[in-house]
Amino acid sequence: MNDLIITLIKVVFIWVWVLLIAVVMTWVERRGAAMIQDRPGPNRAGPFGLLQPLADGIKLFTKEDIIPAKAKKLLFILGPILFSLPAFSAYAVVPFGDKIVLGGKEIILQVADVNVGFLYIVALGSMAVYGIVVGGWASNNKYSILGGLRATAQLISYEVPWGLALLAIVLVYGTFSLREISLAQQGTFLGILPNWGVFKQPLGFILFIVAAYAEANRVPFDLPEAESEIVSGYHTEYGSMRLGLYLFGEYVNLCTLSALMVTFFFGAWHLPYIDMASFLGPISYGIASFLVFFLKVSFFLWLFVWVRWTVPRFRYDQVMGLGWKALIPLGLLNLFLTALAIQLTI
Amino acid sequence: MSNHDDYVKINIGPSHPAMHGTLRVVAYTDGETIVEADPEIGYLHRGVEKLGEHLSYHQFIPITDRLNYCSAICNNVSYEMAVEKLMGVSVPEKAQLVRIIMMELARIADHQVCIGILGVDLGAFTPFFYLIIQREEIYEIFEHYNGARLTNTFGRIGGVEADLPADFEQRWKKLKEGIARANDETDKLLTHNRIWMDRTIGVTAFSPEDALAWGFTGPCLRACGVKRDLRKDEPYYMYSSFDFEVPVGKYGDVFDRYMVRMREMEESVKIIDQALKLYKEMPSDAPLMAKVPKIIKPPAGEVYSAIESPNGELGFFIKSDGSDKPYRIKIRPPCYMIYQAFPEMVKGEMIADLIACLSSLNIIAGELDR
Amino acid sequence: MAKPVVEKRYKLSEQVYLWELIKGMGLTWKHFIFNVKASFRPEPHTIPTCWQYPEDRRPIAPNFRGAHMLMLDEEGREKCVGCGMCAKICPANCITVENAKVPEGEEGKYAGKTYSKTFTIDWLRCIFCGFCEENCPKGALMLGPEYELARYIPEECMADKSMLLANFHKAKQEGKLRPPREPVPVVGAAAKSGEEKPAASADEKGEKPAAKPKAAVKAKPKAAK
Repeated sequence: MNDLIITLIKVVFIWVWVLLIAVVMTWVERRGAAMIQDRPGPNRAGPFGLLQPLADGIKLFTKEDIIPAKAKKLLFILGPILFSLPAFSAYAVVPFGDKIVLGGKEIILQVADVNVGFLYIVALGSMAVYGIVVGGWASNNKYSILGGLRATAQLISYEVPWGLALLAIVLVYGTFSLREISLAQQGTFLGILPNWGVFKQPLGFILFIVAAYAEANRVPFDLPEAESEIVSGYHTEYGSMRLGLYLFGEYVNLCTLSALMVTFFFGAWHLPYIDMASFLGPISYGIASFLVFFLKVSFFLWLFVWVRWTVPRFRYDQVMGLGWKALIPLGLLNLFLTALAIQLTI
Repeated sequence: MSNHDDYVKINIGPSHPAMHGTLRVVAYTDGETIVEADPEIGYLHRGVEKLGEHLSYHQFIPITDRLNYCSAICNNVSYEMAVEKLMGVSVPEKAQLVRIIMMELARIADHQVCIGILGVDLGAFTPFFYLIIQREEIYEIFEHYNGARLTNTFGRIGGVEADLPADFEQRWKKLKEGIARANDETDKLLTHNRIWMDRTIGVTAFSPEDALAWGFTGPCLRACGVKRDLRKDEPYYMYSSFDFEVPVGKYGDVFDRYMVRMREMEESVKIIDQALKLYKEMPSDAPLMAKVPKIIKPPAGEVYSAIESPNGELGFFIKSDGSDKPYRIKIRPPCYMIYQAFPEMVKGEMIADLIACLSSLNIIAGELDR
Repeated sequence: MAKPVVEKRYKLSEQVYLWELIKGMGLTWKHFIFNVKASFRPEPHTIPTCWQYPEDRRPIAPNFRGAHMLMLDEEGREKCVGCGMCAKICPANCITVENAKVPEGEEGKYAGKTYSKTFTIDWLRCIFCGFCEENCPKGALMLGPEYELARYIPEECMADKSMLLANFHKAKQEGKLRPPREPVPVVGAAAKSGEEKPAASADEKGEKPAAKPKAAVKAKPKAAK
């Protein structure tokens, strides 16, 4: 019973945390873009425009909810839900800190330590495409369907290098559990480098981050919603809170992907060269490990914004070309080399 | 094409994020590949040519602002030149210099918008802002010149209405740095970026023979490798005395058009520098207006005169019957000729390329539909 | 009609995507840092591009072509004589002037012998080209600094005499009145007769002595060179 309550608290905590990040991200995106582009950005609602996401939310909630006459109604409603749900669910297995000791009881900072957490992540990653395709199809609009089709091709293609990069990580750490992967990244290797995935798998990290951008439909892979080409892609016909769910889901998705990047490649809650557990008390260590994790996630979230406002967009065939001709061979090569190295060292 | 039913018909425009002004392209696509594109024009038709028949020669100048609204000054000057040619009036040298300086500033502004929008249409938002900030400075100069920013109503028949503002040189010095910096930043963000190169190199390439046959002029023609610039080939005003180059491309693809525009801005800066030097040598009370009667009544006859506007050859044909209103005004906008070749250019390319091509051609609906 | 075949030759640094991308990100980072620093400064308008509009306004050029003003001379008399030259030149046909003789007993209000009984500018039609100002023989009509012309009711855009005079008073109060445009020198001689258009405004130059000596002073040293 006690365990159940603790799990529930963790679920609520992570839920609120992710929602909060997604809300703040809308602000960061807009202000960050503005700062990059030599303009102030939204600065009217609250100090520094911090209440802007709230204003956006109120606007989206109070707008008229329009379902196009010829849309497939059920699917049209289902689309945004299907899109945002997997993004939230993926967080269940992501460790957001090490552990915290409360009243003599050790609490792992992770909702569920599934021993095949890796498979769970990959499976949920492929779920996100349904939301886009269903939404695009149900809208009964040519731009939407084009966006949906682009998303299908892109997301399915990039799942392969994504999975390949993660497989190499699994080979390195020899486990499917995200917590164990995180724990294994403590300390140093080769004497000087932190024992992080990015140093053991540099190529794998590049593959993963590129594929992650494609999975999240972010520039330079924002083809499904390429504004200047197909208006808004899959959410052209959406308005009010349904559109809000799509936009929100995107940020939750970003949050999940950043958390994965940190977990797999950037040493989860570990600081390089410093062992926090050795000098911090049990409670403060738990909080500190969460904060370190959060800082790292924030960096990758910011990276999403930063890259978005720097580069142009790919073309559809180029995305496919990059995925199938460059990333997948590289992923296979990476996997092969990793396997070889492990075979030789053991 | 045999059967349209086999393909998906996509209406791009007239209200679409990438359709500048109100253009409409009906594209038949096979997947994402365009089988046929059918541009439809006329959404911004305001009957400018017919309006000209009911307005006096002077009153038509503000109407020309509304052709290519990105570089209104070039339109004004082109029209004024045609009327002056009809009347046999030669513009005083100082007025010529003022016109040249203003036209080149307008050219820079036009190219900046074109490149910025090309970036936006290809997904790179940031260079647009870096460029548009400098355009703002140019507009500031325009505003200090005669009080308007976009629709300048620059010049009068026979000369210009005002001298350059006193702080022009100071502003120009600042602006020159700004333009160089913005161009440099755009260059850094785009030119060597692989994504940008993939999106532009080889996209909607056009051979020089085709370009000439379709009546291309301006940067689009020069991008194909034809070195034709009215400022060099048929010099008007004092352009023959300036030292500047005509940048040319090779393949006529989007990348070449982009590069030609980028380099033309640098050449324009050079021209303004030289023109400003000549301008400063002039006495401050040198005439800015030729002696023209208050009511302009050119002798009966016809005239065609063209200038190199930022988009290409912008010509005005005026037929006069000796009264104070033109009998007929015909405008030769560069966009119109270029846009004709648009279906030919985008055939077999993808939807994303159609957008890139349209932006790089710099089709301005106001000029196209008149 | 064959499209030319374009060979793509990329340098290695261009080929690998990442190198140029990182360079570009360095550039955007510089802008980001600069603007973040700027936005923390307390004074307004620290990011030089954007004006926080209603509070923080862009200074407009002195000769900005905004809302029209009907000018009064130094003695507070209306300069307009109601000749209708502005209505005649207007390309958009938006000016209506009704001319009348100055009624007896009101000579102090008007500078001329005639005056404009009504003077209406249709701002919905006006294109703000400034021709009316240029064509006015008395310098009585000017385009002022006011640019917020949006109204909810179309009738409010019909600027009548009281509005135009109010514009003048407002501009005068704010010190935004400018001297009339100087006529440009014409080929041939200095402007003397009234038959040429730019010279038509020569007499208004006489009225505002501030403009003339300044121009003359400026002219002399340069001519001497």
